Amino acid sequence: MRCVTNGANGGERTDAGDLTPAQRDRVAAALADVEPGKGNLLPALHRVQHELGWVPRAAMTLVARRLGISEAQVYGPATFYSEFRLTPPPASLLTWCSGPTCRVLGGERIKLILEETLDCRLGENGPNDDYGLWLGQCNGTCEQAPQVWLNGRVVGKLGLADAARLARRLRDGETADAIAPPPADAVEIQPALVRRGETP
Amino acid sequence: MSAAYEALRAEAGPPREARERPLLRVDLTTSSVAAGADGTLSRLRESIAARGLDVEIVRVGSLGLSFAEPTVELQRPGRLPVVYGPLPAEEVEDFLDAVLGTARSEAGGDDRRWAIGVRGGDGQAGEGQEGVPPLSAHPFWAPQQRRVMELMGVIDPESLSEALAGGRYAGLDRALEMEPRAICDLIEAAGVGGRGGGGFPAGRKWKFLLGAPGPDKYMLCNADEGDPGAFVNRILMESDPHLVIEGMAIAGLATGAERGVVYIRDEYPLSVARMQRAVDEAAAAGLLGGDLLGSGRAFRLEVVRGAGSYVCGEETGLIASLEGLRGMPKIRPPFPAQRGVFGLPSNVNNTETYAHVPPALLHGADWYREFGTEADAGTKMFSIGGALRRTGIVEVPFGSSMRELLEEIGGGVPDGGAAKGIQPGGPLGGLLNADDLGLDLERPPFTERGVLLGSGGLILFDERACAVDLALYFSEFCEDESCGRCTTCHGGSQRLVEMLGRITRGGGRAADLERLGVVDRTLQNANCLHGQFTPYAIRAALRHFREEVELHVLERRCPARACRGLIRHRVTDASDPALAEAAALCPTEAISGDDASGRAIDEAACVQCGLCAELAPAAVAVEDRFPVAAAAPA
Repeated sequence: MRCVTNGANGGERTDAGDLTPAQRDRVAAALADVEPGKGNLLPALHRVQHELGWVPRAAMTLVARRLGISEAQVYGPATFYSEFRLTPPPASLLTWCSGPTCRVLGGERIKLILEETLDCRLGENGPNDDYGLWLGQCNGTCEQAPQVWLNGRVVGKLGLADAARLARRLRDGETADAIAPPPADAVEIQPALVRRGETP
Repeated sequence: MSAAYEALRAEAGPPREARERPLLRVDLTTSSVAAGADGTLSRLRESIAARGLDVEIVRVGSLGLSFAEPTVELQRPGRLPVVYGPLPAEEVEDFLDAVLGTARSEAGGDDRRWAIGVRGGDGQAGEGQEGVPPLSAHPFWAPQQRRVMELMGVIDPESLSEALAGGRYAGLDRALEMEPRAICDLIEAAGVGGRGGGGFPAGRKWKFLLGAPGPDKYMLCNADEGDPGAFVNRILMESDPHLVIEGMAIAGLATGAERGVVYIRDEYPLSVARMQRAVDEAAAAGLLGGDLLGSGRAFRLEVVRGAGSYVCGEETGLIASLEGLRGMPKIRPPFPAQRGVFGLPSNVNNTETYAHVPPALLHGADWYREFGTEADAGTKMFSIGGALRRTGIVEVPFGSSMRELLEEIGGGVPDGGAAKGIQPGGPLGGLLNADDLGLDLERPPFTERGVLLGSGGLILFDERACAVDLALYFSEFCEDESCGRCTTCHGGSQRLVEMLGRITRGGGRAADLERLGVVDRTLQNANCLHGQFTPYAIRAALRHFREEVELHVLERRCPARACRGLIRHRVTDASDPALAEAAALCPTEAISGDDASGRAIDEAACVQCGLCAELAPAAVAVEDRFPVAAAAPA
């Protein structure tokens, strides 16, 4: 159960702002071949997130209309599942792996060092939304533990000082892609991250 | 063999191997990419092109050697393939000099620097070649019995042709000639049990669905592998997706279910992509769809992405999620075979369970039972990690010794450290003391010790880990992932987190030892296994690490120095130059002073992160915050 004030994606953004006409069109296009019916809710929300980088409240309304269900039936699951982002992702996302292998190798202290150095709690973004520190669920790349992900790329076998240095580079303005550049044959091993989320 | 299958096999051709030119297999899975395999691949492509070499490069799944990622395998014409790793991108040039240059000494490189072993043509054995020993002699490989992992790391997981050339769908072809009940009987006789942890005989479970009325039934694959630290299903889907699909199609034929869904957790995007591709290719070839291999029988399969919820690994939670609801488990009965997804009869099995079906069907019950025990037949995949030299994925017979798995295959704790305990079966699995390393890997001895063998994740931990801290960690996980439907579960897990949190901050009370048991007993009234198993971690800590728990509660001491509320860091050598960097990096700027005056830690600002002790181990002592002696001042 994700508590809206303490979830992986931070507090819920309460703006009831509408989408821009261009965004409405993009969401409509993304949902065009989704058949009505409750069973297609998760695929529909995934498409919205893929298109916009997150799931704004206003987009939930469009999903509800498309599927022919109530907004409450969309809102409940959209806020229950932790992979749906209710706030725009930052340009540089630092994801801290919460898995047990990382834990037994010092992961909890790494979280503390990241929070203190970046001056934001887990689940929050830093000033200006330049970077964020979010919680990641174990993806089983435990040979790299303890680890974090920079825009989805694993930075592993971290010592405590390594974590502090990494956080300082982010805090001092380096981007995630500059610190851990993706190679030409980059393979996405984290859910696709749309780099710059758009606020309606 | 049906004519349709024969035609597909003929079209697919023989298994890929180096015929005229060298063949380079590059492991591209989540584990290897985490170690930089996509960077290695990019460099290999560039360098091979720049050198004008004629080398075939193919992407493959994982051999399971996570500890040696990124791994590659080179086969030269007329030779056996050699597995190499780790091969980071920056060593690609040297590697190519060594393996594709002239003679070893002339090229100035020696490929033995990266060599792990020579893999035999059959995927199991090898003779050794040019000074490189056979992979079958490697401690990680030798004790394994690779049945479902046979083609993993050998074939391209995004190629149906390679899967067919490796024998995939031969089981489906056979099943099409059999009566549904005969398939269920065979799988039941083989003793194929649920690999998610329950161990329930799959053949018997299928008979419930076979007996359900009506033509609309669902075969569901639980690929939600939510247990952190377990990655068996992920490696399977990323390396040999057609094996899972074939197993599901056979299960469909055995039960009359004409529709199937693979529900994959969202944290596994590469699994989603490869399963989706495999499903599409299989459907296009007539191996899925309305007319399986021209038989007129149907099995349609779709891939659904989860969205991040641990309880969706519980079968009724998974069903709720597929219906577009919050993933809240329901009270059984009705069981899914009576009323499953969209109200239709359904069967849920773990991904690995389906992978065991095709080999069992092809080779028969006696072959299948050649390995394993009375309680658990056959082999099992395990993911091993933690304070371990060799992290990875292996397949061993049920009943193998856990000591062999962790100490021989896994190599034990690195740098000669001592093992303290084992965490089996995910957040609900509990904790074991290292004294129990000798347990056999089957369900009964684990259940007897009050823990779960679970779906195959085993984490070894050493003296740095604390049993109370781990119990708190797993309680926090369970609290966060409680679906919220029943108060017993979400309230009970909250109480556990509160009590354990207080204990690790030095607020333990003698009565806590009793009260933790009260919460445990109360949680047994939770609606589903999530709540009922939530206290397994603290229950196991009280049983297998009693002394450590009592030290926390009664003396406010953490012998592992893991609980930050019970320790403090103190400078013992103020003039140690290593303190300069510690002071500069300290996240709370708690280290004052300079080289001239010496340095000290400001206790009020220090959060006990341990960074200074890592950088200046000779100058910083980690001590009990509440020393016993201080309680009795002179």
